[in-house]
Amino acid sequence: MHANNDDKLKEPHNTHQESDHETQIKFFGGHEEYDGIKELDNPLPPWLKYIFYITIVISFAYLTRLVVFKDETIVQKKEYSKEMAAARAKTEVAAKEDAVKTASQPAMTQEQILAAGKVTFDKICYVCHGKFGEGLVGPNFTDDYWIHGNRPEDLKKIIVDGVIDKGMLSYKSQLSNKQIDQVIAYILSLHGTNPPNQKAPQGVKVEKQ
Amino acid sequence: MELQKFSYDNRMTRNFAIATIVWGVVGLLAGLLIALQIFIPAMNFGLEFTTFGRTRPVHTNAVIFAFVGNAIFTAVYYSLQRLLKTRMYSETLSKIHFWGWQAIIVAAAVTLLSGFTVGKEYAELEWPIDIAITLIWVVFGWNMFGTILQRRTSHIYVSIWFYIATWVTVAVLHIFNSLAVPVSFMKSYTLYAGVQDALVQWWYGHNAVAFFLTTPFLGLMYYFVPKVSGRPVYSYKLSIVHFWSLIFLYIWAGPHHLLYSSLPDWLQALGTTFSVMLIAPSWGGMINGLLTLRGAWDKVRRDPILKMFVVGITAYGMATFEGPMLSFKTVNAISHFTDWTIGHVHIGALGWNGMLTFGMIYWLVPRLYNTKLYSVKLANIHFWLATLAIVFYAVPLYIGGITQALMWKQFTPDGFLKYPNFLETVAQLIPMYTIRAFGGALYLTGFLILVFNIVKTIQAGSFVAEEEAQAPALHSESEMKTQSETWHRFLERKPIRFLIFATIAILIGGVVEVIPTYLIKSNIPTITSVKPYTPLELQGRDIYVKEGCYNCHSQMVRPFRSETERYGEYSKAGESVYDHPFQFGSKRTGPDLAREGVKTGKLYKPNAWHYNHFIDPQKMNEASIMPKYPWLAQKEIDIQSTPAKIRAMKVLGVPYPDNYEQQAIVDLKAQADSIAKDLGANGIQTDSNREIIALIAYIQRLGVDISNKPVKK
Repeated sequence: MHANNDDKLKEPHNTHQESDHETQIKFFGGHEEYDGIKELDNPLPPWLKYIFYITIVISFAYLTRLVVFKDETIVQKKEYSKEMAAARAKTEVAAKEDAVKTASQPAMTQEQILAAGKVTFDKICYVCHGKFGEGLVGPNFTDDYWIHGNRPEDLKKIIVDGVIDKGMLSYKSQLSNKQIDQVIAYILSLHGTNPPNQKAPQGVKVEKQ
Repeated sequence: MELQKFSYDNRMTRNFAIATIVWGVVGLLAGLLIALQIFIPAMNFGLEFTTFGRTRPVHTNAVIFAFVGNAIFTAVYYSLQRLLKTRMYSETLSKIHFWGWQAIIVAAAVTLLSGFTVGKEYAELEWPIDIAITLIWVVFGWNMFGTILQRRTSHIYVSIWFYIATWVTVAVLHIFNSLAVPVSFMKSYTLYAGVQDALVQWWYGHNAVAFFLTTPFLGLMYYFVPKVSGRPVYSYKLSIVHFWSLIFLYIWAGPHHLLYSSLPDWLQALGTTFSVMLIAPSWGGMINGLLTLRGAWDKVRRDPILKMFVVGITAYGMATFEGPMLSFKTVNAISHFTDWTIGHVHIGALGWNGMLTFGMIYWLVPRLYNTKLYSVKLANIHFWLATLAIVFYAVPLYIGGITQALMWKQFTPDGFLKYPNFLETVAQLIPMYTIRAFGGALYLTGFLILVFNIVKTIQAGSFVAEEEAQAPALHSESEMKTQSETWHRFLERKPIRFLIFATIAILIGGVVEVIPTYLIKSNIPTITSVKPYTPLELQGRDIYVKEGCYNCHSQMVRPFRSETERYGEYSKAGESVYDHPFQFGSKRTGPDLAREGVKTGKLYKPNAWHYNHFIDPQKMNEASIMPKYPWLAQKEIDIQSTPAKIRAMKVLGVPYPDNYEQQAIVDLKAQADSIAKDLGANGIQTDSNREIIALIAYIQRLGVDISNKPVKK
């Protein structure tokens, strides 16, 4: 019966071979073809089957770890708390080491301080105060006028606490104490540099630098 | 058995092939344009219509739905008739399908450039066009099943299994993801909000890749690779196993686009694991494609068409290995939001979809025109250009993506971000973007060579509209049954049952993932301090969506130290419950904006800064690559649309007070006036009815609610 049916299914231009002449592998279903396309009766490559099985096992193991055991290393919130705790511990150690190192090293020269301050300024402050401190949305640092005073401690207060309503952020979590002192020194050094495109004076005139 | 005479309709195949080529040029040009814009902001020509946020969706839609879409239809209309030994079911349906699809593409291009968008990636089109897509898709299915049911072969070949799965899955994805409440003609709000919207969107988005870019192209591969090479398909058994496992598993993988987001952990884990389980089923397709060429490698060396197939299938294997790797949370923590993802998808698009399409066109057009390809040499040149182009495109994006991610994550020993200024990390990418654009230009050049070659071929040949064929009529049911028939052989001669099984296979994943987020409250914990947007903020949000800001800015702070230090508190599921649509984004060409409005936050900027920055970003940051948006200061807010928008939001369950529609305009104006006044105090004179005011109001609201009161529960 079977063979008879297959005979009837044959296309007019069907070739009668049962296996591929190149590979000697049997065709699937004898003579069946689709618009001249034949299919070989090869099994699945074993390595592919094993990859499939392994990925299934890994996947279910992972899902079980998460859903059943609520494993700390893969629950997102816990992962975050751990990362933050580890970072805090690390920075504390680093701060202590840094303090020891600073004590044993000669103090930075004024040029070094200004150069370091400029690096911070060019990364952060210029966005609102202009590339040369000429003022943009934030006030001009190069003229004689100051809104909150021009003593280093005045500037420090502003950088640490911010002037939120005016758009000045608090940078205490983005800059270290050392970086803040350096950038203050740099800002104060900009006075009188008279860059182009200066913003109009704001605040009160301060005579003494 | 008496032979029946009939003819194949080549007109529609020809039409779709030409449409593929035309839209290919458009899609690639749009791609090159945005590749240039990303490092030369002035390449938007100062026009709102050609600015990145609007042209990028045009590129993605043109390539996916116009170029690849028409290529799919070319393959289906050619192979279906021949595999089933019958003519297409209805010439009228074919025509409606063809012209309807092209009209949709034109409508898509025009509306996207004009700023009509839903704001969901690869599903940006507004509701009237979504309805048109649904109708045309039904016409396509009707025509396809009509053809299958009038076939002269007993069984349906593996290509057709893939066509069937494609048709049903795309229909399901498109309909459910597009559900929305219309506000007006060409404006609607998506039915889902926040995390739920994100889940539905990426269930859709990922499976647009799976069932629009992958399964129909596997069908294409199963027809054209054996046809062109004259070799039998490597393994029938493998085709069964990889077909069913692929369509069943693929649908679950969507959440891997939302790893480390505020999506519940269990859903993220399903995204990861089902992606990993997809390696073998995907490679099954690659193996069946490549090993079909066994015994024909000498041909492959000579024939540019087979060379294109080999590179295309290899690219498919690479992309489907890389995809699961990117779904590991540890890898995704680096790759996500960077250019790595862009590189990854282009291996698939340029390699798999592009190369297979080119090969098909080079083989098909000479046959449709009863002639030879004008120049095999030019096709060879195209092959080499395209292959080189893929390398030039992808490699710099991999390098750039990894570089930027590592810079984002780097801390100083003191515990501060090493690169607190986002722009510093962008500056590193400019050379990479330049090389990528060169890669894109190479790929386009290759494609233009194809255009020339095909035009010359068409000119030399004469079109065979009707191709004569003959075959015996289909046997009756009883004759086809054999005792040794396997269950799958049975299914292959029962196409409707095949369709039903395929539908069940693709529905399971979606049902298991989507429904619990509605039914189980703990998936999205409520935050009482989160309130609906004010009318002005809502208008501003619509402008944010309209300008496509989400194409470059994410709103999703992931729970990493490097992100909470840079942006602030990580995003919670309860924060986006009124966000129709969600705007998590998928790429950070610019910084994340989820906490932009938090005054005590890391990123806060005053209104005046935002105003100046929108008008001219380069004035605020010389190195910025953001385009200028001067028109926002000129165009007026569509204030009269406010009541309708509030009404639509209320329909969606956003708790505005009763009759708030009437109060909304008054509130909107008051808030706008106060922002204009603040700008005035800072030296910026502007009318309060400008779009920029609404957008500033929205930006200043971002991420604020959660810090107002302590989080509850």
